[in-house]
Amino acid sequence: MFDFLEPFFFAVFSLGIIGAGVCVVMLRRITAQALLMALTFASMAGMFLLLGAETIALFQVLIYVGAITILILFGVMFTKQDDRGYALFFQKQTPWAAAFTLVIAVPVVFLAFSFKDAITPSGKGGDLIPLAGSLFTDYAFPFEIASVLLLAALVGAIVLVKRDEQ
Amino acid sequence: MPMGPFGIDPVIWAVLRLVIAVGLAVFLVLNGALAQIFLERKIQAVMQDRIGPYHTGPFGLLQTFADAIKLIGKEDIRARLTDAPFFLAAPAIVFSPMLASFVVLPFGPDFVGANLNVGLLYLTTLGSMTVLGIVIAGWASNNKYSLMGGLRSAGQLISYEVPQILALVTVVLYVGSLSMVDITNSQPGPLVNVLILPMAFVTYLIAALAETNRNPFDLPEAESELVAGFLTEYSGMRWGVFFVAEYGEVTVVSAIMATLWFGGWHGPGVDALPILGVLWFTLKTYMFVLLFMWIRATLPRLRIDQLMGFCWKVLIPLALVNIMATAVLILAFADPRLPLAIVNWILVAALVFGLPFTQRRRLLRFRARTKEHVAMRDVRLAP
Repeated sequence: MFDFLEPFFFAVFSLGIIGAGVCVVMLRRITAQALLMALTFASMAGMFLLLGAETIALFQVLIYVGAITILILFGVMFTKQDDRGYALFFQKQTPWAAAFTLVIAVPVVFLAFSFKDAITPSGKGGDLIPLAGSLFTDYAFPFEIASVLLLAALVGAIVLVKRDEQ
Repeated sequence: MPMGPFGIDPVIWAVLRLVIAVGLAVFLVLNGALAQIFLERKIQAVMQDRIGPYHTGPFGLLQTFADAIKLIGKEDIRARLTDAPFFLAAPAIVFSPMLASFVVLPFGPDFVGANLNVGLLYLTTLGSMTVLGIVIAGWASNNKYSLMGGLRSAGQLISYEVPQILALVTVVLYVGSLSMVDITNSQPGPLVNVLILPMAFVTYLIAALAETNRNPFDLPEAESELVAGFLTEYSGMRWGVFFVAEYGEVTVVSAIMATLWFGGWHGPGVDALPILGVLWFTLKTYMFVLLFMWIRATLPRLRIDQLMGFCWKVLIPLALVNIMATAVLILAFADPRLPLAIVNWILVAALVFGLPFTQRRRLLRFRARTKEHVAMRDVRLAP
């Protein structure tokens, strides 16, 4: 009876991701761009939900919408605003951008059409336990490396902005 | 034909259930806000030796209703230079995550909207989304005070999310589940989690005060220095929606504390009469709501550097030590309750007695200055 819901929400989230993504690139108002980026991230979280990966969806919202977008807005508020996008005026990036997009897009499209049977999520107990299991066994080393990298970045940021106190 | 609950067609029931759930959540939020505003006024009045509202209705009970009607009836004013779509969307961005939080709150043994196995993570995620609305409100108002409020809010809320999540992790490590129902079921007796994990509770309480913009952490909406911060340009019911959302968030964090550390719906007589669980849960939740009001009436506001320093230099290190100790003790002992309780109470003692010790020079200077003031006043008052 409610079978139509899944394709419907898939369409809504796809439109959210693609439409908001296009707007992020095309718009000139930086706050609107930041918010639309948040919408893209939230739609991605919706995709994860459709795939039965609730934990990843929630982390997606928690980190990308709740923290990264806020930090970007935080940065935007500290910088001087101007309506004109004058910095981009003298740059001719269009051919390069088109070339790179093509290089990435063609394999992605071929890959997308190469999938034959979709794997339906089991839905029993969610993805929390398998996720934790693989994170702390198979991927423990990359996980630790990533945390050390983040710690180094944190310390570096503090060192960078620290003024001499005298 | 398959029959759903109450003899209703399951297809209709699925839709009906959604409508009932959302309606119930809105009802709870609005009435909770009305009740809390009344309680806040009365309690602050008692603490400040005043009477509080008493003209409208018996004991002034209808005062908040009158105020709500007044707010709805007000003209919808928007300054011309505000950023229209964001200005209008900000109250909704703050309000809707709070409303969605009510889905996973365990009101009673069978009164849960959805028993998500990642319920606690869901609540944390929604809590982090309100920041976006506040920052947008501060930005879209096109007002320097509002912008300052938004900036403070972004810095404060992101910083205090860290100890908040770390405190939750401690409880999750001990209980072994992220589901609110499982956490409630893990503490049926009088030995509730707060006796075993008091340090996590204290950390969460402080971080929750900051997350909900309550005193002494209400810097984003400081009336005396920022003319109410991100709320400056808002009036009428838009302003009202921000306040309903704030009271709703206070209810949600209070409910989280009642569930995680005080046994949720468990209490005398629940096994015989499950509906009593709703009463116990509400009582426990409002205990924390009242605690928040007590704190608001008692403590002065912090400065922004004190606020950040306290978070990053005191709360987060203590919370990290707590997580480390909890994990090690749970692995080391078959029944980790006693060692966990010992370590946690030692950490609470370190926080309570350590803070005056590290600030002893400042305290001494403060005392000397007070003595000086008193001496000067005595000289002035002398005949």
